[in-house]
Amino acid sequence: MTLLSVKNLRVTFDTETGPVQAVRGVSFDLGRERLGIVGESGSGKTMTGRAVLRLIRAPGRIEADAMTFEGQDLMAASEPDLRALRGRRIAMVMQDPKFSLNPVMKVGAQLMEGLRQRDHATRAEARAKAIAALEAVQIRDPERVMEAYPHELSGGMGQRVMIAMMLIPDPDLLIADEPTSALDVTVQAEVLNILDDLVKTRGMGLIFISHDLRLVARFCDRVLVMYKGKIVEELAAKDLLQAKHPYTQGLLNCLPRIGGSRGALPALDRNADWAR
Amino acid sequence: MALIEIENLSVTFTTAGRKVRAVQDVSFKVEAQQSFGLVGESGSGKSTILRAICGMAPITGGQIRIDGKPLPTPRGRAFAAQVQMVFQDPYASLHPRHTVDRVLSEPLAIHGQGGSDAKIEQALIDVGLPPAFRFRYPHQLSGGQRQRVAIARALMLQPQILLLDEPTSALDASVQAETLNLLSRLRAERGLTFVMVSHDLAVIDHMCDRVLVMQNGQAVEELSREALASAAMTTPYARALFAASADRMLEG
Amino acid sequence: MTTLNAWLLDPNPKSRLQSRAGQTWLSWLRFRRNPLAMIGLGISVALILMSIFAPLLAPYDPIAQSLPDRLLPPLTPGHWMGTDDFGRDIYSRILYGSRITLDIVLLVILTAPVVGLIIGTVAGYFGGWVDAVLMRITDIFLAFPKLILALALVAVLGPGMVNAVLAIAVTSWPPYARVARAETLTVRNSDYIAATRLQGASSLRLIWGHVMPMCLPSVIIRVTLYMAGVILTAAGLGFLGLGVQPPLPEWGLMISAGRKFLFEQWWVATMPGLAIFVVSLGFNLLGDGLRDVLDPRSAGK
Ligand SMILES: Nc1ncnc2c1ncn2[C@@H]1O[C@H](COP(=O)(O)OP(=O)(O)OP(=O)(O)O)[C@@H](O)[C@H]1O
Ligand SMILES: Nc1ncnc2c1ncn2[C@@H]1O[C@H](COP(=O)(O)OP(=O)(O)OP(=O)(O)O)[C@@H](O)[C@H]1O
Ligand SMILES: [Mg+2]
Ligand SMILES: [Mg+2]
Repeated sequence: MTLLSVKNLRVTFDTETGPVQAVRGVSFDLGRERLGIVGESGSGKTMTGRAVLRLIRAPGRIEADAMTFEGQDLMAASEPDLRALRGRRIAMVMQDPKFSLNPVMKVGAQLMEGLRQRDHATRAEARAKAIAALEAVQIRDPERVMEAYPHELSGGMGQRVMIAMMLIPDPDLLIADEPTSALDVTVQAEVLNILDDLVKTRGMGLIFISHDLRLVARFCDRVLVMYKGKIVEELAAKDLLQAKHPYTQGLLNCLPRIGGSRGALPALDRNADWAR
Repeated sequence: MALIEIENLSVTFTTAGRKVRAVQDVSFKVEAQQSFGLVGESGSGKSTILRAICGMAPITGGQIRIDGKPLPTPRGRAFAAQVQMVFQDPYASLHPRHTVDRVLSEPLAIHGQGGSDAKIEQALIDVGLPPAFRFRYPHQLSGGQRQRVAIARALMLQPQILLLDEPTSALDASVQAETLNLLSRLRAERGLTFVMVSHDLAVIDHMCDRVLVMQNGQAVEELSREALASAAMTTPYARALFAASADRMLEG
Repeated sequence: MTTLNAWLLDPNPKSRLQSRAGQTWLSWLRFRRNPLAMIGLGISVALILMSIFAPLLAPYDPIAQSLPDRLLPPLTPGHWMGTDDFGRDIYSRILYGSRITLDIVLLVILTAPVVGLIIGTVAGYFGGWVDAVLMRITDIFLAFPKLILALALVAVLGPGMVNAVLAIAVTSWPPYARVARAETLTVRNSDYIAATRLQGASSLRLIWGHVMPMCLPSVIIRVTLYMAGVILTAAGLGFLGLGVQPPLPEWGLMISAGRKFLFEQWWVATMPGLAIFVVSLGFNLLGDGLRDVLDPRSAGK
């Protein structure tokens, strides 16, 4: 059953130096599954995720032949409709937690804000929920973190706070943009377990944007490989490490390996044909 | 004698009356021209150790010596010329309203060094950026290019020691490879000493001679590169870390 | 023109000057897309031109009285805005009045935001007791209603334009300090500040070269938005007889003078009132437009 369906999505920025096409005709369907999006920097992964929430700021423009979430037409939805969807039914973990958290507001207050306003929870309820959410993402000392300002957290803690914040309202679709890039492997595994559990037991849909190919291969069901705003390859995650496309292979070859040679790592040779 | 000696370092933050013991009794030594890795749990105090070396964290115990001499507080200019740091997030570590030129000339201005034009062009060439980038703003650069500018800035004063806080975790695979190659090359050319934090054991293995595993503010185990590659760790946490990185092994 | 354009938009500028000019040009291109902001800019430029060329534009002396022409209604030949109770041409007085308005605005801009910016950045950067002391002082100033504090100051210093400006400046720096401090708090823990500190930079260099440029856009935006408030406060002081003194053609003073016959000769008070309204609106629109262009958050990556 499809949760989200995107047909021929295009994102264009009308800049002073001419239009920049960040996403050029991306189509995919998402069920209650884990869909990975990989690709090099600037390939349009983030813009694809943001376009689903219609969160592209001017001078950016979104066009699509169709974009529906559980049958609701996202392209035609009004701003109030979208606001009702965002955060509550479709949540997005932003790439840069340091930018997305308010630097002068305590973490606890930011976590509780949504609960208090949207769900009209009492202070004590909201606090208990927020602490539980922090514990779920393996934060060691949730009581202290509630009282901390974002700059007092480590990089990985900030990232986990963002994940906790997005999971509190129990969304049906989670778009996670590089959610675990600052986490060590053991904590990362725990966070992925939570996401996995939500997909399996609650039927949440997950779009998992990442540049860590090995992680995506291990964790996701299906993968889209993006290059210059286009999907160059779509494949089952378990086949990612044996991908045929030279671009995907090139990306894989760049990775260092434990016990591998310490010589220079191979660079990616880009081919103009891939972008067509 | 080791270049960097850290003995029983403790760092305790006090915020709103609470004490956060971010680093507890950590000791390690780094020989000159070695590359030393720090890995471990998120929030275990890795960044805090680097910040403590730079005098940006409240040290509550222990000693840090460089070249056998304890560091002065505040660190001062001589320290800046000897030790520099590269931050994790290339999007946050460059001033959004300063051109590359300004970013690179600032250290020279602070230290009253002349000849900035030639030095800046050389610095750009050293990190593999075209000189045409000199007057660009950060928002006109990609993540990998920004990280190169940050590395060039750190190298402006010709330091001996480079502290690298997850220098590639925000970068994609191809840019990570470029950046790691650049760092290895610069280390070989200039005889630099690295202390490098990373979550990716493959990156640590590729770059570092020794590695310290940390958890919850404490040092768990120190490993040589050979011990890491042959999975010869003895503590359960280091083992767990290694096991969770199984997909990063050669022939994985 | 095309070569100049290419030079400005060159992604690889050859010099500091070129890159700065290029950035400014891009901001202007972005600003130009906003029609309301362009209207605001037009009004502001018109005000400046008016004040520069007032002697050329004004058909009459703004101060010389001509009692036979008392209280002529608008659209009288030769006096299209009418005349006041001393027979002075209202149009000429408004033109000359723009000089006074502009003087006041400029003097306030050169004082209040600068003081506010310095106090705000210093407080935010150092934090701790410096912050506490500076911000309590700011709070004290904020706690008084502006006009009343200005009135009290003018009452002590005596009426006159310079004193009025001083009074307005003294009452209007606290909001700038607040804005600058808030902005400073968000940047002072950032990595780029830490990186520069690590190079051995002094606090002065950090505040001046790194923190202030980040606060400047919000302060500039606030200045333009608040300009309307300055004009109104100046007019208020003039209206109450505590600012510029008659017979100078200050707009607030003109309204005050026209108040006596508001019902019969409505134009005497209405014309300067319209001038204040239009200029205030212009600055507000300009400020809104600048927000879109200058705000670091809207500039994105
Ligand atoms: N405001 C803008 N104006 C012009 N182009 C933009 C703007 N914002 C983004 N872009 C362009 O859109 C493209 C896609 O960017 P996006 O952020 O989606 O990349 P990404 O795949 O998420 O990369 P990363 O891995 O670095 O996060 C980039 O080439 C970028 O230059
Ligand atoms: N300025 C501060 N005030 C209070 N506590 C702080 C401050 N900076 C760091 N901490 C705390 O110190 C601990 C260690 O943080 P640190 O940034 O060193 O972790 P890390 O090992 O680098 O983790 P990560 O891998 O997630 O970046 C964390 O619990 C963090 O909350
Ligand atoms: Mg992205
Ligand atoms: Mg860290």
